[in-house]
Amino acid sequence: MGRLSLRQIPYQNPILVGTFVFALILGAAIVGLVTYHKRWGVLWREWLTTVDHKKIGVMYCLIGLVMLFRGFIDALMIRTQQAIAVGPHSPGYLGALHGYLTPFHAGQIFTAHGLIMVVFAATPLLVGLMNIIVPLQIGARDMAYPYLNALGLWLTAAGAALVMVSLFIGNFAHGGWYGFVPYFELPYSPGVGVDYWLWAFQLSVLGTTLGSINLIATIVKMRAPGMTWMRMPIFTWASLSANLIALTTFPVLMVCLALLASDRYFGTHFYTAGMGGNLMLYNDLFWVWGHPEVYFLILPAFGMMSEIVPTFSEKTLFGYATMVIASFAIGGVSWGVWLHHFFTMAAAPSVNSFYSVTTMLVGIPTGVKVFNWIFTMYRGRVRFELPMMWAVLSLFLLLVGGLTGMMNAFATNDYMWHNGVFVVAHFHLMVLLIAASIFGSVEYWFPKVFGFKLEARWGKAFFWCIVLGTGWVFIPMFLLGFAGMTRRLDYIPYTQWGPYLRVMLVGMGFYILAVAFFFMHLYVSLRDRAKNRVGADAWGTSRSLEWMTHSPVPAYNFAFVPQVHARDEWAWRKEQGVADLKSGPYRDIHMPGNTGVPFVLGALALALAFALTWRIWWLSGLALALCVAVVIVRAFAEDTDTVISAQDVERAERRYHDGEVVPMEEPMGRPTPRPAT
Amino acid sequence: MSVMSRSENARSLGLWDRDHEGHDVIGTRTFGFWLYMLTDAMVYAALFATFGVLSHVVNLAGGPSPAAVVHPVYAYGETVALFVSVLAYGGAMVALKAGNKAALIGALGAAMVAGGVFLGLAYSDIERLFHAGIVPQASGYLSIFFGLILYHALHILVGMVWMLVMIVQVMTRGFTSNVVYRLINLRLFWHFQAVIWVFVFTFVYLQGTVL
Amino acid sequence: MVIGQTVKKWLRFTYGIPMLFLNGCAHSGLLLLEPRGLLSDTAVHYFTLDVGIMLLIIVPTALLAIWAMWRYRRGGRGAYRPDWSHSGRIELVVWGIPLVTVAVLSYLSIKAIYELNPYNPTILARTHKAAGRPLRVDVIATDWRWLFIYPRQHIASVNELVVPVHRPIRFRLTSTSVVNDFLIPQLVGMIDVMPGMRVKEAMVVNKPGHYLGFSADYSGAGLSWMHFDTHAVSVAQFRRFVAAARSSGRGLTDTGFNRFARPFIAVGGARQVFGRVQQGLFGHVVREVMRGKVWRTPMDMTENMVRYMKQQRAEQNAGEY
Ligand code: HEM
Ligand SMILES: [Cu+2]
Repeated sequence: MGRLSLRQIPYQNPILVGTFVFALILGAAIVGLVTYHKRWGVLWREWLTTVDHKKIGVMYCLIGLVMLFRGFIDALMIRTQQAIAVGPHSPGYLGALHGYLTPFHAGQIFTAHGLIMVVFAATPLLVGLMNIIVPLQIGARDMAYPYLNALGLWLTAAGAALVMVSLFIGNFAHGGWYGFVPYFELPYSPGVGVDYWLWAFQLSVLGTTLGSINLIATIVKMRAPGMTWMRMPIFTWASLSANLIALTTFPVLMVCLALLASDRYFGTHFYTAGMGGNLMLYNDLFWVWGHPEVYFLILPAFGMMSEIVPTFSEKTLFGYATMVIASFAIGGVSWGVWLHHFFTMAAAPSVNSFYSVTTMLVGIPTGVKVFNWIFTMYRGRVRFELPMMWAVLSLFLLLVGGLTGMMNAFATNDYMWHNGVFVVAHFHLMVLLIAASIFGSVEYWFPKVFGFKLEARWGKAFFWCIVLGTGWVFIPMFLLGFAGMTRRLDYIPYTQWGPYLRVMLVGMGFYILAVAFFFMHLYVSLRDRAKNRVGADAWGTSRSLEWMTHSPVPAYNFAFVPQVHARDEWAWRKEQGVADLKSGPYRDIHMPGNTGVPFVLGALALALAFALTWRIWWLSGLALALCVAVVIVRAFAEDTDTVISAQDVERAERRYHDGEVVPMEEPMGRPTPRPAT
Repeated sequence: MSVMSRSENARSLGLWDRDHEGHDVIGTRTFGFWLYMLTDAMVYAALFATFGVLSHVVNLAGGPSPAAVVHPVYAYGETVALFVSVLAYGGAMVALKAGNKAALIGALGAAMVAGGVFLGLAYSDIERLFHAGIVPQASGYLSIFFGLILYHALHILVGMVWMLVMIVQVMTRGFTSNVVYRLINLRLFWHFQAVIWVFVFTFVYLQGTVL
Repeated sequence: MVIGQTVKKWLRFTYGIPMLFLNGCAHSGLLLLEPRGLLSDTAVHYFTLDVGIMLLIIVPTALLAIWAMWRYRRGGRGAYRPDWSHSGRIELVVWGIPLVTVAVLSYLSIKAIYELNPYNPTILARTHKAAGRPLRVDVIATDWRWLFIYPRQHIASVNELVVPVHRPIRFRLTSTSVVNDFLIPQLVGMIDVMPGMRVKEAMVVNKPGHYLGFSADYSGAGLSWMHFDTHAVSVAQFRRFVAAARSSGRGLTDTGFNRFARPFIAVGGARQVFGRVQQGLFGHVVREVMRGKVWRTPMDMTENMVRYMKQQRAEQNAGEY
């Protein structure tokens, strides 16, 4: 069994045992519920084997939310540790000298936190939303490669699962989400933690790369007739530029990680300090991905803001062309700035100067975007509903985050705080901006996907708690940055930092409340869904194509593929008084058929990654061979399409038209013919 | 306005594309494959960048220099084999245009054989090096040297398996649109490996012999 | 630059505000903003300029956003013009303002980078022409201690850096195992300390005192305890320090260093001085690491730290290296 043995189960650690029991109960509850309601069949047929882009998107979002919760717990644990373990006289619990986490455990937590939040929370949420919305916005019936889409999902899920498994079997990497060399080399990280990190990361890289191919091809090839480039909704543009970034940079990360794996598994010398390795190479390869990655995350968020702000300003987006140019400028420049993540590596001043300037250049298109949103509201009629509130929060977070980013970009500032918490505060504001945009767009597009709006009361409580928590935690963190506090400490040697850290822990209370309110928000919305049903155009002032079709969206998206006439097609149709959806005789619609193959491949990939982590060679070989076999067998499956017959389409359309409530059992309104009662 | 006249109105405006037949499958598939090849190109770019970084004197760690490692004869033989294979694949595409199943299968077989020759040469070259104690663990330079050529060889292997699959598919299915797009994609894949080999040959082997 | 000066004065004032809030006393603990060295002073000077200029843009933008939201809220006083979505003039301004700002900041940034270039800070050359021969200090980061070697004095000190004020200090830095990041917030910015390589840094302390230093880059279990004290003292005091170190009698040889460099978590401090340091130890360490020398981290030392530390303490007390 390679390195795996029963000793690797951390049963002595009460925290992990508690977590395990919690996970067990939760798992049992879910299994019990599914069994009780006899939903295994539905789960398999409608979800696990689906290739419907909307359902895949929803599952991406679910993974993202679960991992967001996990990452949040990690954050809470870090904040608690740092608030307790201040100074040599601070108490120690659970075998730790100070606080309640040993350095080894604390390291695992902040590493997992970072990796999870970037790769398994933000990315799946964004990819999920792009998955759902982009095809709808361009009037397509599905993605260009539905099968590949599902594969991307299940690879990401496998990665997330691997991170979770590391909680209970063995341990996780303990050195920072982006890895350090030579620290992550075998002599300094002999355990399996780094291997978990490597393979989980690698799986998500694979999934995201496949996803980016798919989204780009979808946007390029699948647009409805009449949708010229300059009529494309702005979120679609943002997705395009984001995925171009992903397409070109994720492969570099793949190499970066693969070379580290090679060092660890084969004893090569890519990144070692001696024997002709080059440890700076790792930083270059990593951040060649790492910086564009942050723009891969934020461009869709900008796109979301650009959809929400016009809708709730009841006005066209100001400077559409500028927005498009800015998105691509950001994408382009983001390729040439990575060195700002290691200004302190003693590069020649000319080199640092170059990257300092290019980094600041990113600020220009970013600034332009801010102005464009402001001028979209200008002369508008701004309604502060929940999505808009989140968008406004995003805007202000962008102002502060951008300010601090520009401060980092000024290299000599960066010398002062590069590995300090100032940088941590900077990127948290940025990532919170992304989170805020995500929450805003979940509010915004939820009715499109599920057919009812989320209620507003708990939603607002949730929003305000996030606002308060953010201020309460991150203002002290900036001050701590000026106080010279460094990152990733599990013990605080300088007691003057203590008060700030305790204030921050109090601030975490707001986040805890926020999480509670979020669950209430979901629960109440679900309970009262009958009250909040909406038609196609949930907000009344939306402008783009996705609002033309029913809510929830039928499996085929559009009964007829729309002909596009204007940039804001839906707004145009409303103005022209041609907003009616019903017309003409229906036709058969060809759709991709469900398949369990991506799910199986995901499971095999998980087995492979797990086996590699523990160096169980026979299982690695077996899983790999099975993967190859499955791919080849799948290549022989000829008839992968299904047809939704014209009658089915008609029946489904009639149900929508009669205002029938499409029940949750048909989550996306798939027209399953049912016997007349 | 009644519902009827509204939809009449809609029809005259052309609000729905009723003749929509779906998208061109082969075009979409090959486009996606181009995108995939771009990611592979990025992988190679990163590897070549690594090669550039790790081929200074310090990266030899006192071990063998490039000139002692590369063997021009092997590299030359591999080049010939790979280009013959690509040529044979070109023949397969001509056969595809002509709709000639037998010729296509024959050409694919030839391409496979030539690919096999390439792999055989690569194998004996590596074998030779390993025997001389020149292994990836010996220095940073050797790590990336082997990394690069093994990654390329892996592609050749995958391409050959793919060809085998295509031979079977052509035999059993004939020229369905699925088979055709896969043949087109495989062509791109195979040509791309040859292009990459040109870079490997230039930067790893040729430059290696003069350094 | 007149504007710059005004901005700077104004800002010096504003960043007192959070200090007032938090402590209400002179020492706020905001170490970075209380520089006591030539280089840190310069860095803060540029920091102030940078932030000032940025705020000149950001604050009005934020106000504009608030104004637009307020005036054009539903039921607000702004006139609703749903079709208005383009204005060449506004676009020009919107691109122009960030462009000009970035141009100015870029100029300043480049200037600052050269002035603070750790290998050859031009600010030092400009201001300290006649300050005499710089003091050389070789810094070796181990897992997880700092060894400061004074090569001309042949002494070394662990986790304690003693330097004379006003005299330029030239550091050479390397690491035995993983990457660390050398930082003394009030005196000098961060510089990565990498194994198998040597980097340089320069520093001048303006005021005698006691300054904390840290390792900033994550280097493993002992990172949090890898802080050190910097004592900036008068020339006479420095001489006394050197003399005292010499008489301490402990020596450090290349082979002894091999033992010294094994993983050691400096809980409770790990001060030590060596009176006789083998010539060329720094270069020796760099070369050894380049040849592949590795000081491994024991598999489970971090899981039972307390036991590990008892053991290491015993070893340390056992004698000279
Ligand atoms: C105007 C735009 C921005 C500028 C000028 C900027 C600049 C910088 C710089 C110079 C650093 C390096 C700091 C250091 O490590 O010493 C940095 C770090 C970082 N930034 Fe930004 N940034 C910008 C926007 C963003 C955005 C949009 C995101 C995220 C979506 C982001 C996320 C991050 C992250 C995650 C890190 C640090 C990663 C780490 O060390 O763990 N930044 N930023
Ligand atoms: Cu960056």
